[in-house]
Parts: sequence; structure tokens; C-alpha cells
Amino acid sequence: MISKKICMLGAFAVGKTALVQQYVHSIFSDRYLSTVGVKISKKDLRLDGQEFSLVLWDLEGQDIYAEVNISYMRGAMGFFVVADGTRRETLDIAIDLRAKSLEMAGPVPHCLLVNKADLAKEWEISRQELEALKKDGWNIFATSAKTGQAVEDAFISLARAMMGV
Amino acid sequence: MSDDARHNTNDKRQHRHTKHSPDAENRPEPEDRELARLRSLLFQKELNMLHHLATQTKNRSTETEHLSRIIAEALILRANKDDNLDLALSPLVGKLVRSSLRTNRREFTDALFPLMGPTIRKSISESFRGMLGNFSKSMEMSFSWKGLRWRLEGLRSGKSFSEVVLLHTLVYRVEEVFLIHSHTGINLMQLADENIDVPDAGMISAMLTAIQDFVQDCLASGKEGNLESMQHGERTVMVEKHPLAYLACIVRGVPPADFREQMRSCLEYILVEYGDKLEQFNGDAAPFAACAPQLEKLLRAHFVDEDRPIPIWTKILFFLCLSALIGGLAHYKWKDYQTEKLLKEENARLLGISKNLWEAADRLRQEPGFVIFHVEPSDKDPWQIFGLKDKHARSPEAVLRESSHNPEAFGFRMLPFISYDPLMVRARIDETILPPETAQMRLHDGVLHLSGTATMEWIMNARHRAMLIPGVRDVDIKKISDPRMSAILAMIREVENTVVEFPSGRDTPIPQDLPKLNTAVDTLVNMEKLAGQMGLLVSMTIYGHADATGSPQVNYEISQARTKTIAAMLYSKGSSMPISIYGLGADYPESSAPKADQSHRRVEMRVRLSRAGDAPLDFLQ
Repeated sequence: MISKKICMLGAFAVGKTALVQQYVHSIFSDRYLSTVGVKISKKDLRLDGQEFSLVLWDLEGQDIYAEVNISYMRGAMGFFVVADGTRRETLDIAIDLRAKSLEMAGPVPHCLLVNKADLAKEWEISRQELEALKKDGWNIFATSAKTGQAVEDAFISLARAMMGV
Repeated sequence: MSDDARHNTNDKRQHRHTKHSPDAENRPEPEDRELARLRSLLFQKELNMLHHLATQTKNRSTETEHLSRIIAEALILRANKDDNLDLALSPLVGKLVRSSLRTNRREFTDALFPLMGPTIRKSISESFRGMLGNFSKSMEMSFSWKGLRWRLEGLRSGKSFSEVVLLHTLVYRVEEVFLIHSHTGINLMQLADENIDVPDAGMISAMLTAIQDFVQDCLASGKEGNLESMQHGERTVMVEKHPLAYLACIVRGVPPADFREQMRSCLEYILVEYGDKLEQFNGDAAPFAACAPQLEKLLRAHFVDEDRPIPIWTKILFFLCLSALIGGLAHYKWKDYQTEKLLKEENARLLGISKNLWEAADRLRQEPGFVIFHVEPSDKDPWQIFGLKDKHARSPEAVLRESSHNPEAFGFRMLPFISYDPLMVRARIDETILPPETAQMRLHDGVLHLSGTATMEWIMNARHRAMLIPGVRDVDIKKISDPRMSAILAMIREVENTVVEFPSGRDTPIPQDLPKLNTAVDTLVNMEKLAGQMGLLVSMTIYGHADATGSPQVNYEISQARTKTIAAMLYSKGSSMPISIYGLGADYPESSAPKADQSHRRVEMRVRLSRAGDAPLDFLQ
């Protein structure tokens, strides 16, 4: 089986952990996030008849007090950056984290997950902004931890990109 | 044989064949023809078979086809027959496999991968199980104390017997080995005993990597350094790291010093063999499956070998220790015995002392004039005795000394009280009343009996004082007397026994009774003097009687006149005692004698003693 290390980064409280909770399994508790700064989960996928194992490194959220330990990105073969649609500043952080991640891990596939799609009316991030990012080559998914919208698609998309299929 | 050589040989065969071709036979000699004919007649059938065989031999494809039809059965047949086929094929197969591995390693790896992991795991598991089983079985079969103790420990802790045996006998055991890609943290290979529950090797590998990154970031501060081991309880995670890959071994117990060296060697081997693949690693762990035999070498265990022959020096040391232990134990027991003996003696001594002290206290209880209500023993200080003591009782020290007890061993807390013990009462009497030599005192049942003689004053005083003494309820003075009083009493009796008779009609006594009367009067006077010395008053009553002759009036008068005669005699002798006179006439005749009998005409005297102002001293009479 082919295994891939993927990371998930984002600002504090954008709902990263909640977003993937139903789609991955882990033997570690959330306590690891606040202690070691990372929580390992796993997502098994079957893509075009081939089985993949995505080892997901869920990195502690960045806030004004603590930055993401970007060294965990080392060796990542793909990553998600997560933003909260209802908080504009989280997109800025996501953009910043993306740049740092690419610097650390190299040009690896990645996706931007704009979370809280179920609260679309309250979004502070405009469609135009996202369209602009797409034009710059961003792969963007509007996801919802509450409804599970587009989460599976995001995993598949990232996996495809990593496998080059 | 080379192709050229093979070609030359064929040419030669061809050449020989050409020499015996049918064209040459078409030109036979006559005798040869006959011979040929004869040969044809005799061996035509065999010749045909030979020809057929020769044709087959010449035709390679036909031979191959024929061989293909029978080769399988032939091999089976031969294999069943003997081992020659194995001997023939084994080197060839080995050579083929080696050759194939050199050229097509990937295909071999891919083909063997599904088999290798489970096979190795099964092998490890069987190995551990065998080891444990042997231990467990040997322990179960033995009824040694150790076995029983471990069994009890298992029951107490809820662990299986095998686990307990393992815990006690295991020096170390490498339970799991991970080969992890350093850069990505992805698990490349993992081996473990199948009895060990490994949650998820992929996640464990990633977390191990994350923890190392975390420690590196937190502690190393950018400097080079590796987390080489982590310890949790009995387990240690030993890490041997290289930038491309690292080994993590989970070890229970304490591994030997060379184990890290072995890890390093294993990792170096892997780096040499798989360096390129590690550098180009893209997430596919399949190529690393072939590392399993190398990793398997790290999965080792070492148990305490109980059957190992014990070295001689160990035996000597053991016996020395045992001797020392026994010696120490014997010494300890001897000391213990001695101590116990001393203790017993001391206890006996203390008990003796204690018994003696209790006896002393009991002795004091029996002593008159004491009431002991509490004894307070003490190991160090004198025993305290609490109680009551009559002032006339002896001192407790004297009592104890008399009974050969040591009074120094006691402290006495005595309160005064009045004891009704006869001895104490008697002592109190003796203190209060000092009898004259002629008098005796005896106390019996609370009554003080006085006897002997003493002065009247003393008797009265003693009686009075004795009645005030606690414990004296009465005083008996019947047996004590004053000699003067006896004399007085004798005088009284004498006087009162004196009857003076009178002639008829006269108030002077008959002459015969005058001496008697004078004596009585003298006695009375003397008695009066004696009584006066004793502080007593003597008074007297004189009864005068007459006979029945004559008138009663006359009789009263005459009888009274007769009493006056006696009183006058007394006064004439100097008496001053009060005298009462009664003329009773003929009312009280002396007897039944005729009324004119002289005996009726008489005077009787009665004497009374009294203290001045007191009631008469009747009790003295």
C-alpha cells in the first residue's frame, strides 16, 4: 500500500479537526494537539483500483500567541490549508501558511478548504476573492464540518494530485 | 560445448551418413545384394524400427514434442523412485533463483511480499510462544515455591501465569521494530509478535516522527541531535536515526549494550541496500518488504536461564552467603534466645518484685486501722498506695518492715479516719482512760467491761469518758468496785439487817437489843463519815412498827416514837444525815406470830446513798 504524508494547517479555531473527524480515524486524542502540537490521523482511500493511505498530520491552529510549527511540514507530500469563511483574517493566515508550507515541503499538491459553508450568508470572504485565488492556481473547496460538504471530495482531489492521476 | 564445435560434429555425422547413403547401396556387389536380401528377409521388422528411430533422432522438433508428452510423468515417476532427480535439479534451481534475483528483484519482491510479512510475523510469534510455553510449562509442572508465588501473584494482579513468568524471567525483549522514512514519517516496515496489539503502525510511525521533531524543535534549538530513546514503564523506545530512515525498537526490559550497535548495523545495511529507494521514496513501502529478514534479527528476547549450569564461583559465593546467612541467623537466634532468657528472668524478677509488692499491699490491707482502696503499680517509681489510716494504727513502714517487705518501694497517700476495729477502739480507750493498777478493762463486742477495784470517782469518770469513745457502745462496771463503797455497802447491809425490838407500850428498845442498836448507830456514823469522804450523801429512813394490841392511834404514835428514839441516838452520836421517820403502827406485822408478840414491835432502818444533788446511787446497791 502506498502511504502519503499530508498536513492540515490553518488559523486557530477554523474547525480543522472537526472538519475531518468523521472522515479519518486516529488512535490519538486531541490532547496531542495542545501538547506536541500535532495529531496524527489516517485516511484510507481507494482510487482507481489502488489503495492509498493518507497519514494526516493535523497541526495545531495558529493564533496571535503561537505560530504553527511549520517544521512538521517537512516531508509532507500534500497539504490542506483551512480557513473559516466567517472570519476574513483566517484566509490571510491560510495564504501565509500556504507560502510557508510550500517553502518547507516544496511544490507539493495542496487544497484550500474554506470551512463553514453551512453559514455561507455570514461569510466575510467574498466569492471574488476565492475566484481570484483559483485563477492563481489554488484548488479551493467550500467545506462544512457540520454537513460534511466537500470533505471527501477534497481528500480525493488531493490524493489524485499527489498520485498524479 | 560451443556452437562451432557442435556444427563440426554434425558435419562429421553428415559425412559418415553420406558414405552409407541409399545411392551407394543402389550399386551393390552381387554377393552384397544377396546378403542384403537375406538381411531384409531376416531383420526387415527390426530394420524398419531402426529407421524410424533414426528418423526421430534426426528430427529435433519431433523429439521435443515427444519429450514434452512424457516429461512430466517421467519426472513424477523418477521423483517417486529415488532422490536423484532432487539432487540433479537442486543446484540448477538455486542457480536459476539467484540469477533471477539479480536481474528481476522487483518482481521477486512483489511476488513474495504478500507472503513475507505474515510468514515472518508467524515465525516470530511461534518463536515467542514457544519460549513462553516452555517457561510456562516448566513452571506449571514444578511445584516450587517460586512457581506458587508467581501463581499467587498472577491471581492477585489478574495477569496470566505466562505473563507473570515473563515479567520475572524476561531480561529484555524487543517487541516491535519499525523502519520509518525519516523525512515523511511514513512507516516502511514493521515487525512485531502477533500477540502484541499494534494499533496502527502508520500512525505510530508518524507520531514517533512528530515527537522527534517536537523534541528537536523544543530542546535542540536548531542544533544537530537526535532523540535516542524514550522510556515508559518497562518499555523503552530506542531510536537509531539517519536522515533517510530510522529504526525504532520497542524494548521491554533492559537490552544488552550491543543492541544499539546491532540497530546501527541493520540501519546501515538498509541504507546501503535501499539508499536510492529511500531518497526517491514516494510513499510506496513495497520495496522495503525485503528488509524484513534484517529487521527480524533485531526482534530478540533474552530470558533468565534457570537451567544454566551455575559457575563454581557462584556456588562458592552462594555457599558463603548461605553460611553467612545461617551463621547470622544462628547468632541472631542465640542472641534472641539470650535476650529472651534475660527477658524471662527479668520478667520473673519483675514479677517476683511485683508479687512481693502486691503481697506487701495485701499485708497492709490486713493491718488493723488501715483501709487500702487503690494501689498504683509503677515500673520505675515507688508504688503508690492510697487509703485511710487510723491515728492509732501503726505506721505502714513499720507494718511492712515487720513483714519483711521493703517500705521504700512504696509511697503512702493516707487520709486519717476513725477505725472501729476493736484494736483501734481499745487503743483509743487506753489513750483516754488510764485505769489504776487494781482495775482491768476488757473490750468485747463494743462493750467495755471494767473489773477490779478503783475509786468511785475513777469509775464514774471512766464510764463517762468511755461512752464518748467511738467504737464503745456501752460500759459494764458491774465487776469493778470502789473498796470504800464495799465497806459502806457492808455497813448498810449490817445496819439494815439490824432489827431492834421494843417492849410493849415503850419507845426504848429492849435491853438485849441495845448493844446491837449502838453498834448499828456507830456503824451509821462511821459510814456517814466515809461516804462524806467519797462525796456521797447518806440519808436514812426509819420505819417504826407496833403490835396490834391497843388502838391504832396509839400504835401509830408509839411506833413513831420508837423511830425518833433511834434518830435521836444517831444525832446524839454526831450524825447529820437526813432521816425520814415513819410510824407505821401495826399495819405491817413482822410475821403471822400472835399480834402481841414482841417481834411486831420493832424498828427497821433503810440507808440510801446519793451524790449531792444527784439521784440516789441505787446501782451501787
